[in-house]
Amino acid sequence: MNSFTSYIAKNGSALIDSLGQHIFISLIAAIIAIIIAVPLAIALINHRRWGEFVLQVTSVIQTIPSLAVLGLLIPLVGIGTVPAIIALVLYAVMPIFQNTYAGLTNIDPLLIEAADAFGMSRRFKLFRVQIPLAMPMILSGIRIAVVMIIGTATLAALIGGGGLGTYIITGIQTNNNNALIAGAVLSALLAILASWLIKVLAKVSFKKLAVGVAILAALVAGGTIYHEATQPKETITIAGKMGGEPEVLINMYKDLIEADNSKVNVVLKPNFGGTSFLFKGLQSGKIDIYPEFTGTVLQSLVKTPKNVSHNPKTSYKLAKKLLNKQYGLDYLKPMKYQNDYALAVRKSDAKKYDLHNLTDLSRVSTEFTAAFDTDFAQQKDGYPGLKKDYGLDFKSVKIMEPTLRYAALANKKVNVTDAYTTDPQVREYHLVTLKDNKSFFPTYQGAPLMTNQFARSHKGIVKSLNKLSGKITTKQMREMNYQVTVKHKKASVVARQFLVKEGLLTK
Amino acid sequence: MKIRVVYYHLVTGRKENTLIEFKDVTKKYDGQTALNNLNLTIHDGELFVLVGPSGSGKTTLLRMINQLVKQTTGTIKIDDQDVTKVDIMELRHQIGYVLQAGALFPNMTVEQNAGIQLEQFNWDVREKHDRICELLDKVGLDSKTFLNRMPSELSGGEAQRVGIVRALASQPKFILMDEPFSALDPLSRRQLQELVVKLHKELSTTIVFVTHDMQEAIKLADRLAVIHNGDLLQLGRPREILANPANDFVAEFFDDSTTRSLFLSQVTKTGFGRLQEDGDEPVTLDDSKTIFDWADLLNQHPRQMIIVDDLILEPQDLVAYMAQIGQVD
Repeated sequence: MNSFTSYIAKNGSALIDSLGQHIFISLIAAIIAIIIAVPLAIALINHRRWGEFVLQVTSVIQTIPSLAVLGLLIPLVGIGTVPAIIALVLYAVMPIFQNTYAGLTNIDPLLIEAADAFGMSRRFKLFRVQIPLAMPMILSGIRIAVVMIIGTATLAALIGGGGLGTYIITGIQTNNNNALIAGAVLSALLAILASWLIKVLAKVSFKKLAVGVAILAALVAGGTIYHEATQPKETITIAGKMGGEPEVLINMYKDLIEADNSKVNVVLKPNFGGTSFLFKGLQSGKIDIYPEFTGTVLQSLVKTPKNVSHNPKTSYKLAKKLLNKQYGLDYLKPMKYQNDYALAVRKSDAKKYDLHNLTDLSRVSTEFTAAFDTDFAQQKDGYPGLKKDYGLDFKSVKIMEPTLRYAALANKKVNVTDAYTTDPQVREYHLVTLKDNKSFFPTYQGAPLMTNQFARSHKGIVKSLNKLSGKITTKQMREMNYQVTVKHKKASVVARQFLVKEGLLTK
Repeated sequence: MKIRVVYYHLVTGRKENTLIEFKDVTKKYDGQTALNNLNLTIHDGELFVLVGPSGSGKTTLLRMINQLVKQTTGTIKIDDQDVTKVDIMELRHQIGYVLQAGALFPNMTVEQNAGIQLEQFNWDVREKHDRICELLDKVGLDSKTFLNRMPSELSGGEAQRVGIVRALASQPKFILMDEPFSALDPLSRRQLQELVVKLHKELSTTIVFVTHDMQEAIKLADRLAVIHNGDLLQLGRPREILANPANDFVAEFFDDSTTRSLFLSQVTKTGFGRLQEDGDEPVTLDDSKTIFDWADLLNQHPRQMIIVDDLILEPQDLVAYMAQIGQVD
């Protein structure tokens, strides 16, 4: 509880920013959904067949998983707030349309007969009779939609839309319960508050409500225009994958670029999502730069010849060549550290059995028990391959959730686990990663990725980023990850401290 | 004799100008005949009642007048104008309509409900307010008390009074009433029936009234049309129909002791009345007139004696007779 309050105190203003963003996204989505759904329902009052049809269509949209919608939208409209709002609108249209339609078509036929018998014009009947009588239903539809929007808007963080989801996702990624709770509780509170507010507004007269909505829409539009107008001219978007390490890296990029190029404003999209989100974003020009690993490039992004060397230098050269050839992308020089697969053991065991590399481990493997995550235990480039190349043969192998295996090792439940060399838990639990002396694992070196076109037109930025080339050792990276993920320090602070210490940044 | 002239004037003395005319009107729903080749004329100024059991087609007939229902074949004319050839909104603006159970809009106050048509016609707010107040007072609702009430705060009878005000507000050419009192308790029903008769007299508007209750029909109608299974069985004044039912159905429909007891012939049959003496100055009433006609006469001329079937009836005989039929019931 104490750590939670201090977390809130430390991140208060950032949280409020995210809350504002969340409200903004939700409000825009709700307004657009209302503008679409209500007139549509009104237009279809006397076309029951079409009404049923639209009802079916909106219900089908509802069943598509929101993540899939976001993924589909990226190549069409890119990343950030726009696809998030589009996805939210798609979801919110259904409850609003359904309720509005039901409200308008279930009015007592006697009242409709009365309205007709008095010779009311269509407009008069609509605004004086039908809409007011359907209003409670319409408002309850809007209420359902708004609560849903606020909940679903947390997913916007996955594609750089910001909002409270950022804290939930960061919380999951970095095992930071405080961030997770702050994000979740705030979005839940926001949903409850919005629902209550709509209930209260339902008692306000239609005219006042319309005026209020108009004013609100004007304010939002004005704010957006002002926001757009006051942005500096050159804005560069740098995104990073899930987790603390990419966030530290992109903060370094930002600091280095802004220090050298005073006219450039860098926008960061941390915890942006998986590799394919980022790669598509880069290709469509929605993001300009993101850090990528050589291993990932060769394993999943480019088509490669059959036998790929696991030597770091040749790996990088091949990755750079193929990215240029196949996608027209420029892959800048890599940093020093490698975030490879590795096997980890306790420091005490390493000392006791004199273990330095995997060949050393093979001597004692029959006495050791191991815990691997599912993929590592089963894939050819995991344990089955190691068995063949190094002759490893553990006494027993348990399959375990990635997050639990380090704890299992530290608590002496097992002797060996798979690991990433820069994982902070290696530092946290005082573990030792054993050297892959036969280069069995692919190498994972990080370097900034961008389009050739961008690299050509932003020479200054390329120069700034190349300052990191050959910098940051595995140990330094692991320490920084430890500071961010375990100690919950801000990535921007950790990044800056490193740059200043290394003399890459003054101040 | 003077009195007699005035009296007849009230019932039949109007100019019999045709207001609404049905000519060979047939209505079919999915091949089922709801109204069968119907011919009917409604005169200007009369309180015309369409009566028949439920499902007879009487409401369909009423709704054709303002074209809520469109006939399959035949023509309907109002003031000699084919209703299908005039603008439907314009047509409906000239016709007041009172629905079952009031059918007030639940989202509006009494004043807004009553003034809904005036609002459409963009009446001045002040004039609209005055008009509604005047009419509310006329139908027996205190305007100060009721103006700002919501429909949910009204009793059935009060709601229907507001419904009547709503129909009268824009001074329509005539008023249609579709079983307006069927959902009310007997007391409210009787009060509202009296209100309709009173308003009809005061405003001399034409009213076309649909009911399945033949007592109500007899009580209200200047003329009535009996409808059954889509056919017009008989058309005429209540007493004519009672005296000469066109067929067994009509006879049976009206065969009811309470109904019969309302007629003056029954008063003399029950034993009231004395022979005429010198110095009597009675007014002659036909024995097919009802005790309401008698009461109406006494209301204007409290001491007037009448002569029915050669027997003199004194004013106090009415009270005594009513006390007696009350006991029988």
